[in-house]
Amino acid sequence: MAVDISISVQAEGFDPGAEYNRLRSDNYSDGATAMFVGNVRDFYVADSEEGAAQKKSVSVLELEHYPGMAESALAGIAREAAERWPLGRIRVIHRFGPLAAGDEIVFVGTTSAHRQASLDACAFIMDFLKSRAPFWKKEVGVGDDGKTQSSWVEARSSDESALKKW
Amino acid sequence: MIKVLFFASLREQLGCDAVDVAADQLGSVAELRSSLATKGEAWHVALSNEQLQVAVNQELCDMQAAISDGDEVAFFPPVTGG
Repeated sequence: MAVDISISVQAEGFDPGAEYNRLRSDNYSDGATAMFVGNVRDFYVADSEEGAAQKKSVSVLELEHYPGMAESALAGIAREAAERWPLGRIRVIHRFGPLAAGDEIVFVGTTSAHRQASLDACAFIMDFLKSRAPFWKKEVGVGDDGKTQSSWVEARSSDESALKKW
Repeated sequence: MIKVLFFASLREQLGCDAVDVAADQLGSVAELRSSLATKGEAWHVALSNEQLQVAVNQELCDMQAAISDGDEVAFFPPVTGG
């Protein structure tokens, strides 16, 4: 049976509880549901000019995306997961625009008959999303001097190496 | 024409989010990139970033990918979503 895949790229917030209910609604063949939710932190660690890591508070996280490709990249990753694991449903939501600390950014939900497939597929989708889906984060915060600063988040090499385990 | 898009820090460095480029004599992404780099110092510097990624018609590619009239080509820094 074809896996039910649903992808949303949106500015609006989402309700993880409602998404869980949707994954479970009329779904009696899948005994396992795995979900990941990513939220905006209230600080980030930036490299100072001296090279030491510094904590800074973040007031706004701006998420830029490539409309069209963002949706198709997420759908491609979800289809790949559907080919690798016996899944019932896949739900992926990624937000864009200005977000505040605590806000939800991303949701990945998967269902399967037994737990391993949904757990692995959920982690796989997140790992590939981090390195392949066209979204970029810009952190806007207040530095030690009280001035507003903004900086683009640098890609982490650990995200690229996370793909190797798949 | 080839529609060229720029995102995130690259867009800010160039002060430009999109340009249309005549397709003649541009057979690959690498040739398009070299041609754009001649538009000025900021373009030369920003486009020489080794980490830049490219998508042709909204699919990630490498710099050797072929391009032709009507394609949409996007350049951007490594992605940081999720």
